[in-house]
Amino acid sequence: MNKQAELDSLLQDVAKSGENLTVSDRRAFLRKGATFLGAATAAALSAPSVRAAMPPTEPAYGKSLGSPVLANPYGMPSKYEAHVQRRTVEWLTPDRISSISFTPLADLKGIITPSGVMFERYHSGLPEINPQEHHLMIHGLVERPIILSMDDLMRFPSVSMTRFVECPANGGMEWRGAQMDRLQFTHGMLGCAEWTGVLLSTLLQEVGVKPEGKWILAEGADGSHMSRSIPLEKALDDTLVVYAQNGEALRPEQGYPVRLVNPGWEGNTCIKWLRRLEVGDAPWYHREETSKYTDLMPDGRSREFTFVQECNSVVTNPCPENPMTRPGKIWVEGLAWSGRGKIKHVDVSFDGGVTWRQARFTSEVFPRALTRFGIDWEWNGQTALVQSRAVDETGYVQPTYAQLRAARGENSIYHKNAIHTWQVNKDGSVRNVQIS
Amino acid sequence: MFRSRKCNVLGAVTVLASLSLAQSVWSEPGVGHYGYGQPATEEQIAGWDIDVRPDGLGLPEGSGSVEDGEWIYEAKCASCHGTFGEGVDGYPSLAGGEGSLTDGRPHKTVGSYWNHTSTVWDYINRAMPYTAPRSLNPDEVYALTAYVLFLNDLIDYDFVMDDSNLAEVRLPNEPNFIPDQRPDTNNERCMSGCKDPASVTLVSIGPELVIEEQSIDAVIEVAAAGEAVYQQYCQLCHTSGLAGAPKIGDVVQWSTRLTKGIDTVYRHAIEGYQGEVGVMPAKGGFAQLTDDEVRASVDYMVQESQ
Ligand code: HEC
Ligand code: HEC
Repeated sequence: MNKQAELDSLLQDVAKSGENLTVSDRRAFLRKGATFLGAATAAALSAPSVRAAMPPTEPAYGKSLGSPVLANPYGMPSKYEAHVQRRTVEWLTPDRISSISFTPLADLKGIITPSGVMFERYHSGLPEINPQEHHLMIHGLVERPIILSMDDLMRFPSVSMTRFVECPANGGMEWRGAQMDRLQFTHGMLGCAEWTGVLLSTLLQEVGVKPEGKWILAEGADGSHMSRSIPLEKALDDTLVVYAQNGEALRPEQGYPVRLVNPGWEGNTCIKWLRRLEVGDAPWYHREETSKYTDLMPDGRSREFTFVQECNSVVTNPCPENPMTRPGKIWVEGLAWSGRGKIKHVDVSFDGGVTWRQARFTSEVFPRALTRFGIDWEWNGQTALVQSRAVDETGYVQPTYAQLRAARGENSIYHKNAIHTWQVNKDGSVRNVQIS
Repeated sequence: MFRSRKCNVLGAVTVLASLSLAQSVWSEPGVGHYGYGQPATEEQIAGWDIDVRPDGLGLPEGSGSVEDGEWIYEAKCASCHGTFGEGVDGYPSLAGGEGSLTDGRPHKTVGSYWNHTSTVWDYINRAMPYTAPRSLNPDEVYALTAYVLFLNDLIDYDFVMDDSNLAEVRLPNEPNFIPDQRPDTNNERCMSGCKDPASVTLVSIGPELVIEEQSIDAVIEVAAAGEAVYQQYCQLCHTSGLAGAPKIGDVVQWSTRLTKGIDTVYRHAIEGYQGEVGVMPAKGGFAQLTDDEVRASVDYMVQESQ
């Protein structure tokens, strides 16, 4: 196939999958949709309920009593935020049991992902586990194999750290071309939280790793018994055995009552519903580190144990879900992160990468955490190509698609961290595109 | 965070007391320093220690033939993975794809991609069959492993696999795995004149995000509140038609039901009723829902069924 024919067939594929997507999930966008259109915004302002709440009128809620305390003993978001939801792409998996849902990045602020909308990934569905019944066994090449109840685990000294967790397949649908219609699906296998738990090094010290011990097998208690081999160096560095997220117990979706977090590493290694840690002298080569989570190169060979999530970034405003409402000033925002440490710079381009301006950090900058950046932009109402490019503290600069494809081809599925492009159209809508 | 906090505190106090008697423990953390938890017995470890390695470490005693595997596979696996391992309805294929790894659309299977036979045994034993993991005995897992390899033309039909010969069966793609080579790109932090503006072209355009126009009030009421309530509380019965519930999207059903007037329909949903096909529990069984929320979810169902 020549290049043009290839592109044509690609675009056909893209169009086809786009059809599926927009038909199946279009309704979820109703509410936002209404605000997208300038006209609708004007209409909204003149809607009777809105006029009744604007000065000089005293709104109804200022002339009556609200609900009592404990109306919601465990609070929920406002009902007007009901559009902020995890969503899935049905054609990715044959059913919703071994499947994935995506974080609504376009609606989130700052760097902490609310626990209730953090992306989900299950392989045998979501197990319901009573923490009183749950146990963690640590054994193998250790002096003192032990079984810990949740209460036992929570007696160890604890630490809290803010770190991202990202599925290595994040953006994997885009290797061959722009396929997804929105930020939630291009980058939403990502979240960042304050994780609290016990350092794995503390537990390993407690059981005493024998000198031959070099690898750890971590295994989940759910039906898939998800298992990954983790090198001892990482386990002794910053691997955390986590029981709390953002100040509350882990949500069931995130591994309640206990999970692993390997900061900066493939989300898949952060075993949820953790029940077992075994010390061994070699990796196990289980299904999730051979059939999956290995990166196929153009020469037919595959890279294994590609743990680190490399430096990446994306603009979250504007994006397809957050279109431009009018020409003029806009505060452009985005997220940057690197599994190798802190973010050092983020640059933003509005002309498809010809010129770049350095953005400001608008959040705290933690290692291996999402970092929020922002930059002023004066939109002249013309077509623009918006990109962000992050640099981490090792000096690594986020690559272009051309560079990534030159190094790895298009079939490696995982670890796609290319500079992303949003095309801003004259009508203010924003489209996922890839450029040369 | 978890119940039984009280016991916890008491436990911690006792431990502190005993530790302060043995002060040196604090200064030299080491094996058993905290002494929390209970020792794992060999029997306990054996029950959960299910992992298997490429060298065969971890394999339990047992054996199974390709022929036995064929029967079990037909009964417990073929419905999803296909009689020939070709995969059905989007479920993974387990065979084929030899020589496809350098193609535009590589076909990765146990035969074409996996690197160790032990992984097949380990995965079937830990996670399959999908709807009943950990239900197979070791002999069945040996038989199924053998059969999956047979489907890939890697062993003969008369092969009998056991704990002593499994590790010797090598998979063809084993030599083709290499260590991580990243960072493997070398972008530069150029700030201006980084490329010729004329050279910037679109190579791929994603699908448009399609939005429907509706008045903002109607949308907030119906789509946000109604859909959310529906998804959380009603869809269990009304998406599948469980217990005789009228399915969402069933135009005939819903238009018939609406002939008795929307207020009756609301009342049935809020108060519950015994209908001709089954019982609709009051508010679907979720007393915490407000009447407005139930009405909104009824509106949503009605809107979806026009
Ligand atoms: C109800 C459907 C279903 C049945 C029945 C089923 N499987 Fe699976 N199988 C799956 C799904 C789904 C996956 C992928 C799971 C995932 O990735 O989380 C899978 C994955 C696999 C894989 C790994 C495929 C790969 O390339 O990574 C093997 C091997 C396998 N199954 C073997 C079996 C065997 C043997 C049986 C019978 C004992 C069986 N399966 C029964 C649905 C099924
Ligand atoms: C446990 C299953 C179940 C759940 C959960 C459930 N329903 Fe129903 N629903 C039924 C059944 C069964 C019927 C049909 C009864 C009949 O007409 O025989 C029904 C009928 C209805 C009807 C038709 C009433 C009529 O007059 O024809 C409405 C409206 C309705 N349900 C609304 C809801 C709403 C709203 C929710 C969620 C808040 C909900 N249901 C949750 C089982 C359920």
